[in-house]
Amino acid sequence: MISLEILGEAIRSTIIKAASELPSDVAHAFEKAIENEKSQLAAESLISTFESCKQAREKGGLLCPDTGWPLFFIKIGTNAKIEGGLLELERVAKEKVKECTQKGYLRPTMVHPITRIGKGDNIGDHIPHFTYKFFPGESLEITFVPKGGGSELFGGTRYRVLAPSDIPAGIKKFVIDAYIQAASAGKICPPSIVGVGIGGTSDICMNLAKEAAVLRPIGSHNRDEEIAKLEIELKRAINELGIGPMGIGGSTSVFSVHIEYAYVHTAGLPVAINANCAIARRATVRIRESEFEFLDDPNWFG
Amino acid sequence: MDLINLNTPLTDEDVRKVKAGDVVYFNGEVWTCRSLLQKKIIDEGFEMPFSTEKRNVLIHMGPIMVKKNEKWTPVSMSPTTSIRFEKWIPETIKRWGLKAIVGKGTVGEKSRAVMKEYNCFHACPIGVYPQKLVDSVIEVVEVHWIEKIGLIEAPWVLRVRDFGPFMVDVDSYGDSYFEKVEDAVEKNKIKAYEMLGIPRNFEYSSLY
Repeated sequence: MISLEILGEAIRSTIIKAASELPSDVAHAFEKAIENEKSQLAAESLISTFESCKQAREKGGLLCPDTGWPLFFIKIGTNAKIEGGLLELERVAKEKVKECTQKGYLRPTMVHPITRIGKGDNIGDHIPHFTYKFFPGESLEITFVPKGGGSELFGGTRYRVLAPSDIPAGIKKFVIDAYIQAASAGKICPPSIVGVGIGGTSDICMNLAKEAAVLRPIGSHNRDEEIAKLEIELKRAINELGIGPMGIGGSTSVFSVHIEYAYVHTAGLPVAINANCAIARRATVRIRESEFEFLDDPNWFG
Repeated sequence: MDLINLNTPLTDEDVRKVKAGDVVYFNGEVWTCRSLLQKKIIDEGFEMPFSTEKRNVLIHMGPIMVKKNEKWTPVSMSPTTSIRFEKWIPETIKRWGLKAIVGKGTVGEKSRAVMKEYNCFHACPIGVYPQKLVDSVIEVVEVHWIEKIGLIEAPWVLRVRDFGPFMVDVDSYGDSYFEKVEDAVEKNKIKAYEMLGIPRNFEYSSLY
């Protein structure tokens, strides 16, 4: 049985970790890019961002002030038991989002869609958002993603339906053209992690793109060899564009391209992209009985 | 690329000497603004809750602030995307006498024209370095309308030292740094298409 106290402490630590500490794969991507970047201004851009991330951790600051949408991705062990029942999970998570917002770990960014006013606690209809998966075992694995507004709102999210005759060139053109528009002048804070969803219905497709962008570590590849090849091909091509970090020009335009697919109606093909910021924030915790530990990989598609 | 230290308030001469591609740092007072302030003042006709005289450097930004020992203290801050304020930027330059606006990315055509006419520039962060910006704040001078529009939309007047680096992307002569990058990207796109085997004459089938 997982007690409410342990659950609360695990969620609170995970929110703070996500907002203030770069995932190891993202830190590694920065280091590698700094080493390989050809433009001096672009190298300075990457260095100044990476340095700020390291200092934020030391000084108790944040990686980025825009902590965006509070999103929870939760894997529930089929034998996991929570004190008071499963629904307590959402109640405790909301309580911790509120607490972390009031303490300055999250910015009170969530507002009513029309009045544009929020309660200052990042809580409202459908927010925070919860996505669930089941897996064998007794533990809970919770990933918290503070999803930035830049990468979500300014062109980093797109959807289109292709005809079967447009495959595969149309998929590639869609990704390249959308990325150029979105990354221009640094709107989505490149070098991004680009998640691409292929197939399914519109919502399945968009969800796959989002989950590929925010839950797969940089350097991971799709299990399907052909799709993995396409990921590498797209990453290489985008890095030829010269967009650079924050759109200022340079050889580092994208950190990674992650593709996930679903089976689809024979009549057409939905495609979607969702970008994650260069400062790609997430933290994952595994809770089992009265203990919890952090994981580097959310292992969402595993 | 030149590194330029600027003291606020800026003079017209300060503005004229910076060119697109230069990197600037600010010293003195700057203040923050987001859409709820612009909407209240410009669309709804409210009076500005404070004087913008001698405060001609505006940062599009919503800092995270907490009260420590009764004093507002910044936790994190980084400029936010300017393009979404495009409807209001020309009027803010005229009405508030702005000489520089800092925001992520760039501004649109209308703002660019008004910047040229009123001798003003736009600058953007070259990376995301909230900790460096927080460390450059000497003092939170004033804040207004927290009750009315909330903590992040409220205008914060900050006294800063070596506040930057920010790259001038649109200068007072109408030149745009990002336009040049975009022209280069447009040319590189042909090579990217070739690498991916996208035919030159490819057109999407029209489905809707």
